[in-house]
Amino acid sequence: MTVAAAAVHASKIYGKGDSEVRALDDVTVEFHDGEFTAIMGPSGSGKSTLMHCIAGLDELTAGSVLIAGTDLSTLSDKELTVLRRDQVGFIFQSFNLVPTLNAYENITLPLALGGKKPNGEWVDKVVATVGLGDRLKHRPSELSGGQQQRVAVARALANEPHIIFADEPTGNLDSKTGHQILDFMRKAVDELGQTIVMVTHDPVAASIADRIIFLADGKVVDEMREPTPEKVLDRMKRFGE
Amino acid sequence: MKSVLSRKARLFLTSLAVILGTSFLAGATIFTDTLNKTFDTLFAEVFEEVDGFVRSTDVIETDFGGEERARVPISYVERIKAVPGVADAQGFIQTFARIVGKDGEPLGSDGNGPPTFGGTFNTGEIALWAVSEGRAPTNGTEVILDEASAEDGKYTIGDTVKITAAAGSREFTMVGIANYGDVSSPGGATFALFDDVTAMEFLTQPGLVDAILVAGDGTVSNTTLADAIQAQFGPQDRVETLTGDEITKETQDQIGAALDFLGTFLKIFSYIALGVAAFVIYNVFSISAAQRERENALMRAVGASKKQIRRIVLIEALVIGVVGSALGILAGIGISRGLSAMLKAFGVDLPSKGLTVTSSAITATLQIGVIVTLVSAYFPARAAGKVPPLAAMRSTALETIGSMRTRLIVGFTPLLIGIGLVLAVVGGLGAAWIGLAVLLVFSGVLILGPVTSRPLAMAIGAPIARVRGVTGEMARQNAARNPKRTARTAAPVLIGVALVTAVTALAASLRAEVRDIVGEQFRGDYVVSVTSQGFGGLSPLLVDDINEVEGVANATAIGYTPVLVDGNSALTTVVDPATTEGLFELTMLEGELSSLDATGILVEKDKAERESWSVGSDVPLKLSDGTEIAAMVQGIYDSNDFVANTVVSRQLFEGTGVTRFDQQIYIEIEEGTDSATVEAALDAAIAEYGNGKVQSRDEFIDEQANQVNQLLGLIYGLLALSVIIAAVGIVITLLLSVYERRRELGLLRAVGMTRSQVRTSVRWESVITSLIGAVAGVILGLGLGFVIILSLADEGLSNYAFPVGGIVSILILSFIVGVLASVYPAYRATRVDVLDAITTT
Repeated sequence: MTVAAAAVHASKIYGKGDSEVRALDDVTVEFHDGEFTAIMGPSGSGKSTLMHCIAGLDELTAGSVLIAGTDLSTLSDKELTVLRRDQVGFIFQSFNLVPTLNAYENITLPLALGGKKPNGEWVDKVVATVGLGDRLKHRPSELSGGQQQRVAVARALANEPHIIFADEPTGNLDSKTGHQILDFMRKAVDELGQTIVMVTHDPVAASIADRIIFLADGKVVDEMREPTPEKVLDRMKRFGE
Repeated sequence: MKSVLSRKARLFLTSLAVILGTSFLAGATIFTDTLNKTFDTLFAEVFEEVDGFVRSTDVIETDFGGEERARVPISYVERIKAVPGVADAQGFIQTFARIVGKDGEPLGSDGNGPPTFGGTFNTGEIALWAVSEGRAPTNGTEVILDEASAEDGKYTIGDTVKITAAAGSREFTMVGIANYGDVSSPGGATFALFDDVTAMEFLTQPGLVDAILVAGDGTVSNTTLADAIQAQFGPQDRVETLTGDEITKETQDQIGAALDFLGTFLKIFSYIALGVAAFVIYNVFSISAAQRERENALMRAVGASKKQIRRIVLIEALVIGVVGSALGILAGIGISRGLSAMLKAFGVDLPSKGLTVTSSAITATLQIGVIVTLVSAYFPARAAGKVPPLAAMRSTALETIGSMRTRLIVGFTPLLIGIGLVLAVVGGLGAAWIGLAVLLVFSGVLILGPVTSRPLAMAIGAPIARVRGVTGEMARQNAARNPKRTARTAAPVLIGVALVTAVTALAASLRAEVRDIVGEQFRGDYVVSVTSQGFGGLSPLLVDDINEVEGVANATAIGYTPVLVDGNSALTTVVDPATTEGLFELTMLEGELSSLDATGILVEKDKAERESWSVGSDVPLKLSDGTEIAAMVQGIYDSNDFVANTVVSRQLFEGTGVTRFDQQIYIEIEEGTDSATVEAALDAAIAEYGNGKVQSRDEFIDEQANQVNQLLGLIYGLLALSVIIAAVGIVITLLLSVYERRRELGLLRAVGMTRSQVRTSVRWESVITSLIGAVAGVILGLGLGFVIILSLADEGLSNYAFPVGGIVSILILSFIVGVLASVYPAYRATRVDVLDAITTT
């Protein structure tokens, strides 16, 4: 399996001297093509920071991040933006959509920003996968929370990205709707061959992944394959000790 | 912490609108106060040595507070000197004369600039002027110039200087340079000064002076002195004696009246700027109220009353009003300098020394600034109070749009009544209704703004979305997403553009009108003219010389001279009936222009009707030198914009003491004559007098039509500040919108919007907003221009010219304003912290 994205000796330090906080402490981790990875850890463990840095939304203090072989630290702001636009998909916890654009325009936004014509077949497939067919002309304010997140998933998929980052994508949803979203993400990996990295603190959500990376105090402390909710919960409980 | 910071920014932005709005008002006040003070001081200094002022009681008033006074015999000087208490008495002349520069060009501006004077150089006890270099003139070949003129004309002592006056032009030797008070030339006027004998002989008439200046020996008070002098004269002498204080005061008041006119003119534009600023203030408070909805709702939830919330907003407005107005006064000092420079650029060079900031200027500006701010903030404050406590649970700023239907009714009612009134006026209703009609239409349009701004934004944004893709589409949607806000932001642009358009349409119509009339009235091939109407002009001898020029078939002179017609002061057109044929046309209803003689007067139709005069009526005339003439109406002519409402023959002035000038000489050349040769010969004839210029028929018509451009330029300049305030309004709104949308912007940046795309999007949103105001403003402005022209139909204005070029320029300019206004907000938008926006807490 090829590496979709990787962090090498990644460190992120906030503040200086006595007030220094090491959000990431020499993290080296790889994410593989076609794999669904979850990042877990107690709050303050650095999981969001790690995701932001790998996704090119934040800068490392030391070490490097590679996406599709490109070292992000060598890129200008514009090159980084274009990389996010063309090679990365994003799903955030909330406020994922531009309120002035309808569902279809939101889905194709990264493509439109790149001045590209949407690949009709692919977009249709994505839309069908997340089940939004009759809602495409609606504005975000006319959609339920679950529908909004589905649009967000579709947007993340629409530009056929190299890798998708999801930050607590089900955090604001009830468990049933949350499950639907997780199912769509799973399908995207299984049926559409996508690569997803998801930050979550929900053991049930994490158990849908192929692999879980556990973070604590800015360090990778454990890794789990073929997770189940119970196994994850057990592992998480040990953080509290 | 962040909310405090943004609150600071909001306070600053609102204050900026108040500062700009009040600065023009303060600037205009400071400017006119400074001018008044400068002139008051100047005349107080100038007349310091003058204890008495003897002049004729025969006076004819002219436009704008001017007057033409009869002269007094110099022989009175001896009678005055004999009065006990008089130390000295001297003749005084100040009349038209123009200094010709070394390059052959006359000094001073040809148009409406400061006057060009010739006069007496008074010495000894009554020296108004001080010699700063060289010496005073002592005989008929010598002249002394004011410092500024000497410099402008590049003259040094010993040079030969050509000076032109009513009696033609003559060369003098410059023997000195003079200062007036402590300025080099008062009001930018030019002065050529002579000894009294030369001044009389060259400028007026031998034996006659404009007035006699008296210096007392200090033994009696000025009042006693003036009474004693006056006692020397009987009623038949027709003179009056003023004390030095009286003549100082009178001169100050005369200038004051002219300055008041200027002050009022400037104030009109400063109130327009203030009105535009009020809209911006209203907008900023409305947006703040919306953005602080949660904060206010929370306060309501914990028990604050509606009244308390309202009071908080109004107290904030009060602070902003006071601080903004105070800073506006400071900025006004800069504006007053700017006004001075701008008027100078348009040929009105006024001396201003120091800076006069009166306490009344400060209190007036503060009061008006605070009141405008409070009134503008009142409705937003009320809206803030009405926020339901539940709104604390909502997450985004929401500006509710009340019932569209109510708004449509409330908006359309005044709009339709206004349009109805305009139509009624077209149909014959009095023009006095126009003002109300315009007010109703404007109110209607402004009320309908929120209803129309969304469709307008979508329409104007459509081509942009097509060209710029998704960034353009987002700009379009952003401009349309908050119709109330967009309408309030576009309103100041609308007002500015409407006024600019109306003025442009009016000017275009005036030009077309002038072109028609001048073309119809004037049939000749060439014109010699000066544009200094009302003061000085061409020597009456010039027309005779031109008639001698080879190739000239006929030349006729036209002048304007104040005359008392049946006891009323009137500027009267003076013609030479013997030579007008084929050159100067009057549509005669009765009588013939060519048969007008020295005892006759022609009267315009309307005036004849008003006065119940007909051909044969006796009309007593009195000239400015006191000559009385029993004239008779010899003809009636149709109304004509380029001719006064009475016409007399130049023969009427022959043998009188009136110094008269011609304004234009119309020339017809013999057929088959080489135009270049004639032009050269005409130039040579004029050069003898050093004043006036030759123009072909086309050039002359163009110039007459374009005279309106100078005033137009000045009005554009004065409206510029309103446009700047409107632009600042766009900047403020965009900044607040960007702040409000920072999460959205962060999201867009995260999913791949580059900084330049963010900039593009904000820029086009700004352009769309600006163009909404511009398009609506152009339509309203064209209507307004049409209405004004309609109301001037009685004055003979009948053309309505559609200023295509002007409209295109206005739209392009609005586009540029939109682009410029977006620069800073767009920059702020690119600096939005992506992580901040997407991290939900």
